[in-house]
Amino acid sequence: MDPAVLSAAFIAFALAMYAVLDGFDLGVGALLLFEKDELTRDQMVTTIAPAWDGNETWLIMAAIVLLAAFPRAYGILVPAFYIPVIIMLLALGLRGIAFEFRMKSSGRRPSWDRVFTVGSLLAGFMQGCIVGGLIQGIKVQGDQFAGSPFDVFSPFSFLCGVGVVLAYIQLGAGWLHHKGLPLTDLRGHVFARAIPVAFALLAAAAGVAAVRIQPQFAHAWSERPLLLGALALVFIAVDGASLRYMGARRSVPALAPFGFAALMLACGFTGLLVGLFPYIVPFKFTLWQVAAPAATQIFLLSGVAAVTPVVLAYLSFSYWVFRGPTPKPEAT
Amino acid sequence: MTLDPEILARIQFGFTITFHIIFPTMTIGLSLFLVIVEGLYLRTQERLFLQLYQFWLNIFAMTFVVGVVTGIVMSFMFGLSFARFAQTAGSVIGPLIAMEVLTAFFLEAGFIGIVLFGLNKVGPKLHFVATCMVFLGTITSATWIVAANSWMQTPAGFAVQGGRLVVTNWWDVIINPSMLYRVPHTLMAAFLTGAFLVTGIGALYLLKGVHLAFARRTVSLGLAIATVCIGMQVFLGDLVYTVMIQHQPAKMQAAEGFWEIDSESPAPYYWFVIPDQKNQRNVFEIKTPVLGSIWLTHSLDGTVKGLKNTPRELQPKMAWVFYGFHLMYVIALIMSAVVGTSVYLRVRQRLFTSRWFLWVLVIMIPSGLLATLGGWYTAERGRQPFVIYGILKTADAFSPVPASTLLASLITFVVVYSMFLAAFLVFTVRIIRRGPEELPDSADVAVNRGQGWQSLPSNASPCAQPAE
Repeated sequence: MDPAVLSAAFIAFALAMYAVLDGFDLGVGALLLFEKDELTRDQMVTTIAPAWDGNETWLIMAAIVLLAAFPRAYGILVPAFYIPVIIMLLALGLRGIAFEFRMKSSGRRPSWDRVFTVGSLLAGFMQGCIVGGLIQGIKVQGDQFAGSPFDVFSPFSFLCGVGVVLAYIQLGAGWLHHKGLPLTDLRGHVFARAIPVAFALLAAAAGVAAVRIQPQFAHAWSERPLLLGALALVFIAVDGASLRYMGARRSVPALAPFGFAALMLACGFTGLLVGLFPYIVPFKFTLWQVAAPAATQIFLLSGVAAVTPVVLAYLSFSYWVFRGPTPKPEAT
Repeated sequence: MTLDPEILARIQFGFTITFHIIFPTMTIGLSLFLVIVEGLYLRTQERLFLQLYQFWLNIFAMTFVVGVVTGIVMSFMFGLSFARFAQTAGSVIGPLIAMEVLTAFFLEAGFIGIVLFGLNKVGPKLHFVATCMVFLGTITSATWIVAANSWMQTPAGFAVQGGRLVVTNWWDVIINPSMLYRVPHTLMAAFLTGAFLVTGIGALYLLKGVHLAFARRTVSLGLAIATVCIGMQVFLGDLVYTVMIQHQPAKMQAAEGFWEIDSESPAPYYWFVIPDQKNQRNVFEIKTPVLGSIWLTHSLDGTVKGLKNTPRELQPKMAWVFYGFHLMYVIALIMSAVVGTSVYLRVRQRLFTSRWFLWVLVIMIPSGLLATLGGWYTAERGRQPFVIYGILKTADAFSPVPASTLLASLITFVVVYSMFLAAFLVFTVRIIRRGPEELPDSADVAVNRGQGWQSLPSNASPCAQPAE
């Protein structure tokens, strides 16, 4: 297989890891908004405390491999998404800071929690806007982004933004379920059921809108009807399953709802990749047109192949150390 | 006034990187301290070391988190501020940073959770391994990023094909002519930063007469690290100087404040100058005669080459380079004097009682950071007008973003980062005020909890307490 495709596949892998892993901790951040009891909020935050830093590292990984393997694409895409990227970065930053200081603050914890929630929501929303911006396509002249920094913002990209936030909330809810904090207990089963329904509706709306506003995207999809059909079926089936699980009146801690949410996100992500491929700067440059020289690809891929298994091993170990339901903290 | 996007892009990058670098520098220095303290605890089982570990871990956690969130910004800043640099050089420095992410960021991130929240979850030995892994992550990270930066200073191992850089030899890219000197120099700067930081706070407690055992041990260990490191740093700094004068003569000419093709013989040493770049001269100088020859040429009558040796359009701005370099240099001299004095006082057994000296240590708290920043400004401003020395000019590297957008984002960064800094300072001061948790009289607590070695509540997180 040619190295440019492998590098692109690794970027996709890192982004998927990011979306699933940081997705759940951003989702937990968003769900804090609905929890009034401070001790329960502590418990929720404790479930993500040891993991969020490693989860965010996948975003850096994806960005830097894009820089290394597709430098021309990086130099077009980052300026094209200048505003959402900066808002996302600062939102992630505020969230990290709020996370650290909420634990050290005794009196102002509710305010820090608010910052934590807003940061989480904003980061997810901006990531969705960027997805929308990719589908809309990017104005390029020569090797440079030639549009306005506001091009990315449109009703469609806002729709994608809300979709990503909902995906993250469902992941977060699944994660909390696994950690012994099922949403049915926290917010009642109506609320818990609303999330998969809303996510499914939004994903469908975004899919339809994408096909309508971007003919190239529609064309790419129409070339792979079977794959797309399969994705849609899996998505619907899993959504139904997660509806049953998350809405159940009595629930036991299980990883299934988290797995369902991750699978749904994976379906959406695959749909996105199918629509964009082989473009990396949609719909101007294919990944081969902007790939770095072979020397770079080979060095990069060798490094990735050698180190990634080790990374995955110790990251898994860290998750294993903090496995199991999180106990409720004592009142202090 | 029209806004110049190049200037704005540079200020934005400069501001975000300057802010960022403060925190990893402290993180590297503090994690070395944590490794030493936890190692000593495991070896001696002396509970004072545990108290030291707990306290400094709290400070470390905050420097770490600010470093992480401002570091994520940097991975996009190549595109936000310098997209055309990214497009030209991404295929060369991108893989180095990718290796940094793979071998360092993940290592830190994978073990920081265990370090901060795993005291009750894993055994003491494994916890020590986790601390070591975080330390290893911080120095590996510094190594890759300084390798990448060194390549921008002394590029090697590539060919230019059709306006793009193609790597011909990765070994030469990574082990470029200045890398082997600049990496240890940077690491040593971080160790010194951490050492003076902890020492100063320990000294503060001694002056206030609180937490005495804790403070004595902190000051003693901190000064021991500083003593070893400053000796090596003087040597390493001299090596870097020698290498850079070969590869980037203009930088060193600017750093020492000389303008003329050849200085008078013997050359003076300039402690302070106010340069006038336009007329290529200094309007004000404070100097010591002959010292320049001795220090810079290691002879009594050697002459020093000035900035006029470099064509005007390729000169860096002398003021930035000179002030950055001298800030670092003067602080290094003061550090050496402080360390020398501390050895004398230690021998005379007056280290913990000489109030004037303790005050000096308190004043020295930010010294390592200031010196590090001075050094970075020397390196980065001295490389101008190039972003990749001799290859790509900064004027050809910035992002095609409207100046108004750049200005808005710059202001946003300044505002949000100020909030980060304020929160960081408020909480750090609060932790320092509160001081270390006093040790319980016996180790009963640990036994009662049935949770192993750790007896102090993990104040890294009130949520991380064990289940009852």
